[in-house]
Amino acid sequence: MTIGTFILKNAMRNKRRATLSILSVAVSLFLLVTLLVALRELTLPPEDIGAALRVVVRSKISIANLLPAKQRPIIERVPGVEAVSPFTWFGGTYKNEGGLTFGQFAMDASKFRTIFGDSKMPEEQFEAFQKDMRACIIGKLTAEKYHLKIGDRITLVGTIYPVTLEFNLAGIYSGTIDDRNMFFHHKYFDEAMGDMGQVGMWWLKVRSAEDMPQVITTINNTFANSSAEVRAETERAFQLSFTSMWGNIKLFVGAICTVVVFTLILVSASTMSMSIRERFRELAVLKALGFRRRELFAFILAESFALAMFGALIGVGGAYLLYTFGSVSKMTNGIFITLEVTPKIIGTAITVAAGLGIAASIMPSISVAKTSVVEGLKTLD
Amino acid sequence: MAENIVTIRNLSKIYRQGEINVTALDNISLDIRAGEFLTLMGPSGSGKSTLLHIIAGIDRPTSGECHVQGIDVAKLNESQLADWRNQNVGFVFQTFNLIPVLTAYENVELPLLLTRLNSKQRRHQVNTALELVGLAERKTHLPRQLSGGQEQRVAIARALVTSPSLVVADEPTGNLDSQSAQDVLGILQTLSKSAGKTVIMVTHDPKAAAFGSRTIHLEKGELSN
Ligand SMILES: Nc1ncnc2c1ncn2[C@@H]1O[C@H](COP(=O)(O)OP(=O)(O)OP(=O)(O)O)[C@@H](O)[C@H]1O
Ligand SMILES: [Mg+2]
Repeated sequence: MTIGTFILKNAMRNKRRATLSILSVAVSLFLLVTLLVALRELTLPPEDIGAALRVVVRSKISIANLLPAKQRPIIERVPGVEAVSPFTWFGGTYKNEGGLTFGQFAMDASKFRTIFGDSKMPEEQFEAFQKDMRACIIGKLTAEKYHLKIGDRITLVGTIYPVTLEFNLAGIYSGTIDDRNMFFHHKYFDEAMGDMGQVGMWWLKVRSAEDMPQVITTINNTFANSSAEVRAETERAFQLSFTSMWGNIKLFVGAICTVVVFTLILVSASTMSMSIRERFRELAVLKALGFRRRELFAFILAESFALAMFGALIGVGGAYLLYTFGSVSKMTNGIFITLEVTPKIIGTAITVAAGLGIAASIMPSISVAKTSVVEGLKTLD
Repeated sequence: MAENIVTIRNLSKIYRQGEINVTALDNISLDIRAGEFLTLMGPSGSGKSTLLHIIAGIDRPTSGECHVQGIDVAKLNESQLADWRNQNVGFVFQTFNLIPVLTAYENVELPLLLTRLNSKQRRHQVNTALELVGLAERKTHLPRQLSGGQEQRVAIARALVTSPSLVVADEPTGNLDSQSAQDVLGILQTLSKSAGKTVIMVTHDPKAAAFGSRTIHLEKGELSN
C-alpha cells in the first residue's frame, strides 16, 4: 500500500457520496464554463479583417430611427469612402416561426462584395443575385438550418413594415463572421413600401484603416445640426454598443449562474466536511499511530482535491467536448453559432475547482487540528 | 532486576471545567520495569485511561513528570511526540479501531508508511506481525469480514509492527467473548514473556488481570495498594 492508495480508498469509501460530490462539482463547473463561453461570445466584437474597414452610420437618436435616403450622395463624396450601401433591417418572420432566427437586411446588392469582402460565394450565384430584383442570398448556417437550396422561394412576413416579401434564393454565402444573415435588394423593399425615401442605416467600406478616423468625424460633423443627425462608428464599436443592450440580461444570467455555482460549491464543501467528521475517531487513531497533523491535512486536502479535480475533468471536459464537437447553433436554437471553450476559460474553471478543493478541506482540517487524540478517540463512529 | 522503562513522579492531571476542577490523577509516583505485563485496575472514573494516555504520549500531565526510556515525554513538541509514538508505542483499543476500508494487511502496514522501510522490508514486518497473532491467512480480509477477536488480533499486529518497546492496551477484551479474550490476553502475555515488550493494560476483569505479572489499583486518581 502507498499513501496514494490510502487516500484513494478513503475518498471512495462511501461510493454514493463520492459520486455525488464529483457530480456536483462537475455540474457546477459545466455551468460555469457555459456561462463563461456565452458571456465571451456576447461581448466579443467581430474579429474579421473586413470589420476593421467597415463603418456603420445610424441615427443619433436611436438605432430604430430611420435616415433619409438623400444622405447617400453626401456620404459617397466623403474622402476615403470606397462604397456606401443602405442597410435596413427588415425583421420579418419566416414560416410563422415565433422568434426571428436570422437577420434580414435590405441593401445595395451591387455593393455586397465590396463591403463584405470576406464572404465567399460562387460567381454565377452572385451574378444571379445582381440580376434578379427579387433575389436574395442567405448565409450557409441559415440555409442548412432550413434545408434551403438555390431556386427555393422564401416568403417573409414583415413585423415592422406592413408588407410581405417573396424572394428567390439566388446564392448561399459563407466565410463571414456570422453566416446567418439574409440580404436582398433595397430596391425591392423600396418598391414594396412605396418609396418611402428612408433607410435603416448606412454601411460603408473605407479605403484604408488610416482613413477611418477622418471618415467618421467628417460624416458626424456633416450631419450635425441637420434634421437627421447621425452617429458614424466602426463596425466593432457598433457591435459593442449593440451587445451592450444585452447588458442587463448578461448581468442577470451572470448573477443566477454565480449563485448556482456558489451554492454547489457550498454543497461540495459541506459534503467533504461531513465525510471527514465521520472519520474523526479514525483520524485520532492515525494520530496515535504517529501521523502528524500536517500529514492528516495533506490527506484531507488530497482527498478533497482529487474529488474536485475529478469533477472538473468531467464538467469542463464535457463542456469542451459538447461545445467543440456538438452543433452549437442547433443546441442554442441559433442564438450562438460557436461557443469556443478557450484555454483561458478552461484555466479559470480548473482554478475554481482547485479553489473549491482547497476551500472544502479547510473546515475539516481546522476541526481535526483542534481535536486532541484523546478527544478524537472518544467520538463515536 | 530489569531497568525501569517508565518512571512517574508526582504526576497529576486536573481537568478544569468552568469553576469546577476534576482531579483525574492525584500526585502519582510509579515505576514500571522493562518486560513487565502491568495491569491497571480500578473503578470507572478512577483515572486508568488518563494514566495510560499520558504514558503513551497522547495526553499531557498538568504537573509532575513521566519519563519513558529516559525521555520526558511531556517536553516533546507535537511532531516530536508523533514520531516518538510511532517508534516506541503500540496502541490496542477496546473498540479495535481498524480502518474499515483497508484490509487486515493494509491496516497493519499503516504505521510503517511513516518509516523509511521499503516495500519489501515492510512486507516482511507485516507478515511477521500477522503470523505472531495467528492471522497470516486473513491478510486480504476487510475488518467487517473478521470476527471481533480477529479484529483485535489485527489491531495487536498493527501495534507490534513497528517493534515498539511499549504496548498499551485500554480494556482490549472489553468487547470480546471469553474465548477471544483468552486468545488476546495470551498474545499480550507472550509479548512480555518471550519478546521482552513492556505491556500496560487497563482492565475491569480480575481474570484478565491475572494474565499480567503485576497489578496496580487506582482509586479516585490515587494508587491504592
Ligand atoms: N476531557 C475531560 N474533561 C473533564 N473531565 C474529564 C475529561 N476526561 C476525563 N475526565 C475525568 O477524569 C476522570 C478519569 O477519567 P478516566 O477516563 O481516566 O477514567 P477511567 O478510569 O478510564 O474510567 P473507565 O473505567 O470508565 O474508562 C473521570 O472523573 C473523568 O470524568
Ligand atoms: Mg477508561
